[in-house]
Amino acid sequence: MIVTAHRMRSIGWLALLAICAALVMVLAFRVNALRSQVRHAELKIVALRQEKMYLETEFETRANQQQLKAWNDVEFGYVAPTAGQYLENERQLAALSKPAEPDAPEPIRVASADDAVVAQAAFPAMVSPLSGKPLGAGADEDEPAPAKVDHARAAASLGARLARVDHGDEAPVTPRIRQLVAKDDEAGDAPAKKPAKDKSAKDGPAKDGAAKDKPVDKRAAKPSAKVASATKPEGAKKTASAAAAAKKPVAVASKKPAAAVAKKPAATVAKKEVKKAK
Amino acid sequence: MNALTASAAIASGRVQLANVRQRSLVTAKVRALWVLLLFVFATLTALVRIAQLGLFEDAPERRSMAEALLPPRGEITDRNGVVLARAFPSYSLWYNPKALGEGGSPLVKTPEEVAKALLAIFPDADYADLVARLKSDRPSYLRKRVLPEEANRVFALGEPALEFPRENQRYYPQGSLAAHVLGYVDEAGEGHVGMEQVLQQRLLDPAQRGQPFALSIDARAQGALEDELGRGMMESNAKGAAGIVLDVDTGEVVALASLPSFNPNRSDRAFNDLVFNRVTNQVYELGSVMKPVTVASALDAGVIGDMAVRYPAGPLHVGRFTIHDSHNFGASLNVPEALIHSSNIVTAQVADKLGGPALRSTMMALGMNERPTIELPARGFPIWPKGDWARLTTMTVSYGHGMAVSPLHLASAYAALVNGGVYRPATLFKVAPDKVPEGRRVFKAATSARLRQLLRMIVVDGTGKKADAPGFRVGGKTGSAEKPGTGGYRRTSLIATFAAAFPMDKPRYVVIAMLDEPQGTQATSFQRTAAWNAAPVVGRVVPRIGPLLGVVPDATRDVDISDLSPLVGNGDGE
Repeated sequence: MIVTAHRMRSIGWLALLAICAALVMVLAFRVNALRSQVRHAELKIVALRQEKMYLETEFETRANQQQLKAWNDVEFGYVAPTAGQYLENERQLAALSKPAEPDAPEPIRVASADDAVVAQAAFPAMVSPLSGKPLGAGADEDEPAPAKVDHARAAASLGARLARVDHGDEAPVTPRIRQLVAKDDEAGDAPAKKPAKDKSAKDGPAKDGAAKDKPVDKRAAKPSAKVASATKPEGAKKTASAAAAAKKPVAVASKKPAAAVAKKPAATVAKKEVKKAK
Repeated sequence: MNALTASAAIASGRVQLANVRQRSLVTAKVRALWVLLLFVFATLTALVRIAQLGLFEDAPERRSMAEALLPPRGEITDRNGVVLARAFPSYSLWYNPKALGEGGSPLVKTPEEVAKALLAIFPDADYADLVARLKSDRPSYLRKRVLPEEANRVFALGEPALEFPRENQRYYPQGSLAAHVLGYVDEAGEGHVGMEQVLQQRLLDPAQRGQPFALSIDARAQGALEDELGRGMMESNAKGAAGIVLDVDTGEVVALASLPSFNPNRSDRAFNDLVFNRVTNQVYELGSVMKPVTVASALDAGVIGDMAVRYPAGPLHVGRFTIHDSHNFGASLNVPEALIHSSNIVTAQVADKLGGPALRSTMMALGMNERPTIELPARGFPIWPKGDWARLTTMTVSYGHGMAVSPLHLASAYAALVNGGVYRPATLFKVAPDKVPEGRRVFKAATSARLRQLLRMIVVDGTGKKADAPGFRVGGKTGSAEKPGTGGYRRTSLIATFAAAFPMDKPRYVVIAMLDEPQGTQATSFQRTAAWNAAPVVGRVVPRIGPLLGVVPDATRDVDISDLSPLVGNGDGE
């Protein structure tokens, strides 16, 4: 059987057509598969959004204003923050420290105060519960007490110290602010006890501070008052530098204990009653 | 011949055969052509369809996704985006007696058993009603808004006739909070009472309903206001209460409460007396809270030149009518003292000096002669003395009688009193900072500054002491007006109002608390007047909403009243 060139050409065309058709079909299938995937994804998005809306609505319903109020009445007893819990600026924060008295320990030193000394005097290293010695013992003992700072030597090394950029400045200040706030919370008795504490604090601020390491606790009124007075000479300056950063935390931190102290008895009584009823 | 005939016959048969062949060929060709045409048509159709799918397939699908996410009715949120109203597809319990086909009992168990089982799931349902519905052969709703877990329990009963169609309903997550502002949506999808009615078109418009609509309400402030008003209402055994918190600089209503309230989630029960809005729709003779407006008008007109000038405080006879005070405050009072003790007599004399036309124009400038300006549909028309005011009318209006306005009128007027003297209409739409309306000037700025001092003095030294939230520099005025009854005023039915603004050194918000017919109870020291019931409400609301609205309490600040304080002694008034 002789195949003519003409026939060959037609067969070629047909083959080409068949291949193209097959390719188009494959492509069409792929496209459709992808499209249906997209549609499924869209449906899933819609379903998830709906689900999210249901959950949101449920949450909003369970946490609506009236419900929150009912819980607060029975369980939490939060009250709105009072004027005393807000600090507007650095000046107000500084005003919380003890006012200068005729026999105040030392005036505030501005330029020549060594920050490292100040920080360690106010907040010495942690005391080991076993040995009773400070954990960073070596360094702590080597440091001179602030009263014994050699001013001549300090003046000589002033240039070097000014050149040093100290970023660790902020960290030790935070507890100081907490103390101040704690002091504010206990405002009733703290000022009355001050003069007596002040005398003991005056001779050795560093040592006194070292002994009372723990009282970062807000409730411990007396020790915090002591530390606050011990750190007095350096405190004011630091306070100012940290005030901007610490402004909000102050309001927040002071809000909770006040509320807790004010309302806890009532809440516990309520709970007890519930138990009795059961 | 025969042969010829035969050959002719053969020949003709051949011709015939040829003809048949030719005809068959033509038929075949025509048929082939038809088949070809059919194929061409099919190919073309397929091509057109492919082109259609390829080119236009995407668009309708995407629209369907957007449509699926488009709520059938737009959301309403508060100013901070807290959802107050939303379209929510919830289950309903639908009884379909035809579910098991025609004939035979529609229920597997008896209607009584099913009703009992349903009663166990929905304890508040009506047993007799359920039985009646289950026995009838007409389909009906047994219940709307069924929770998913309840629906599961009903499903577990195994009754095919109980169906759970999912229906789009309006849901208010905050319950009855701000019910009078929002209103409710009925079965037919029509909004009623509040913003649901006002925004009906906007909430249904497909182009806009995808975006939630923000009101000026702050849900937290609204919650605090409703809570404290409710407490004040209970403590004083009042019939009702109304309250409003208004931004003095923009006219935005931050909270608006009318108690007792209703639950918009139960739209079938929502239409009752409680939908009546006491803040915008009811007008009251508000009494002494109007005195600062009179004094401001007199200050503005230059009638009160010197605050130290004393006016006689004995009973004032005008024609046959005598104006009294609640107590005797001595022989004479100056203006600050008159406000602090709330003296009708001195205020009437000031108004008399000021004259009717001036007072009337001030009241008109404050919008007291027209319905309050707010978007809500329920706005009451004030009782406004017609024509030129007689001398006695001027005097009674000066201390808040003879003219009845809504608490919203009062709030807008107080906003103008303290914000520097500019009246702005109240609005429930959130106002962008650059779109604050200019308003119209009613008082001079100096008058407004003076009023801030006087209002603060009333709270520091006068009748508003119980509203003095520490650190918030509240200033305000009490008003205890007797309600008019048959044959004069009723001495025991009062409207006790406290209109306040805070902080007085730079006023941000006006707070109005009003109690309808408070009684003297132990909680209010057996007093009915505003100083004992409405003022404490403000005193409790302000510390709760102040920090939320950005007012920081500060005990070291206050408006300077040192120039006025030497002029007053201390005492109590109405």
